[in-house]
Amino acid sequence: MDLELVQRVQEGDKKAFDVLILKYQQRIVHVITGFVHDPVEALDVAQEAFIKAYRAIPNFRGDSAFYTWLYRIAINTAKNHLTARARRPPAMDVDALDATNYYDAPELKEFETPESNLISTELEHAIQQAIQDLPEDTATAIRLREFEGMSYEEIAQVMDCPIGTVRSRIFRAREAIEKQINQIMSEEE
Amino acid sequence: MTANQNELLSALVDGELKGNELKQALQLLSTNDAARAQFQRHQLVSDVLHGHMSQNIAVDLTGRIADAILDEPAITLPQKRKALVIPFPTQFWKQATGLALAASVGAMAVMGLTNQSQIQLRPVTAVASIEAPTQSMTVAQAGNRWTVGQQEVEERLNTYLVNHNEYAGASSVFSYARVVSYDVGQ
Repeated sequence: MDLELVQRVQEGDKKAFDVLILKYQQRIVHVITGFVHDPVEALDVAQEAFIKAYRAIPNFRGDSAFYTWLYRIAINTAKNHLTARARRPPAMDVDALDATNYYDAPELKEFETPESNLISTELEHAIQQAIQDLPEDTATAIRLREFEGMSYEEIAQVMDCPIGTVRSRIFRAREAIEKQINQIMSEEE
Repeated sequence: MTANQNELLSALVDGELKGNELKQALQLLSTNDAARAQFQRHQLVSDVLHGHMSQNIAVDLTGRIADAILDEPAITLPQKRKALVIPFPTQFWKQATGLALAASVGAMAVMGLTNQSQIQLRPVTAVASIEAPTQSMTVAQAGNRWTVGQQEVEERLNTYLVNHNEYAGASSVFSYARVVSYDVGQ
């Protein structure tokens, strides 16, 4: 689907790029925060990275996944940002091919603050609880999707049900999890 | 927001939309703020489940980026160049047809003459085959060499040359023959 969105952007559809931002902004900000410790500064660098990506998107030919391509731009933008500020970029790098798993990179963990760790832990517990409370079919569908990375078609085969049913179950699971997340976020505020 | 629209946005997060459904979802996002907020919430759930969450939980860069690229011209990929086809003028086809006809007639004439020449050649070939044993005997006698000094061989060679010249003259093929001989001592 990313490729279809990219093609739309390449044809002049700016709204399609909007969707790509919505889809990847959290991940990109998270990656950049690993380099630029200040969360506000990280937002500025992320914005710059997305703008660079927009300008470079005519050159994107789909040789790699869109996110891998975007990830490289984000990393370079963050490094350039640090260099421009006469700060030394961290002496570590995450292989772009492993970009989708970057959150497991131990090098990035050290930049997390105790506050963010606390929120993450709370969210994890809340999400696990929310999934446990779901009906079995719904919980299985969201687990297969989010943790096993299966497509709707694969989940439909595993669960022996129509793809439309898979789509509904995953949507219901997300709604339930959203409620938990919103509750925690409102408590934090 | 209907349940179907919500499901559509959830499927968009999973990259499971194509064609019309994708178009419908994009349209919904660009015209409906509630849909946009819903999509962000679905995406946030997915990000949290994957551990992609940053310290800025309520990240929304779309407005800032949209403002930044507002004045930029819409991207247009360069169109692939199509091969330029220049039609030949009518005069060309008339000339080409004339040349093709002339070439066909020429080819037929050459083939006809060649066949005729082969018919004329047959008696010569027959004579040669009849006289072959004598020839081989002569060669053997001369120690695998033509011995021009022998009268019989010389006459035969002359006959071949006369026949060759007649054949070559009739068929318009250039006539050329070379006779190689060795001295007896060689």
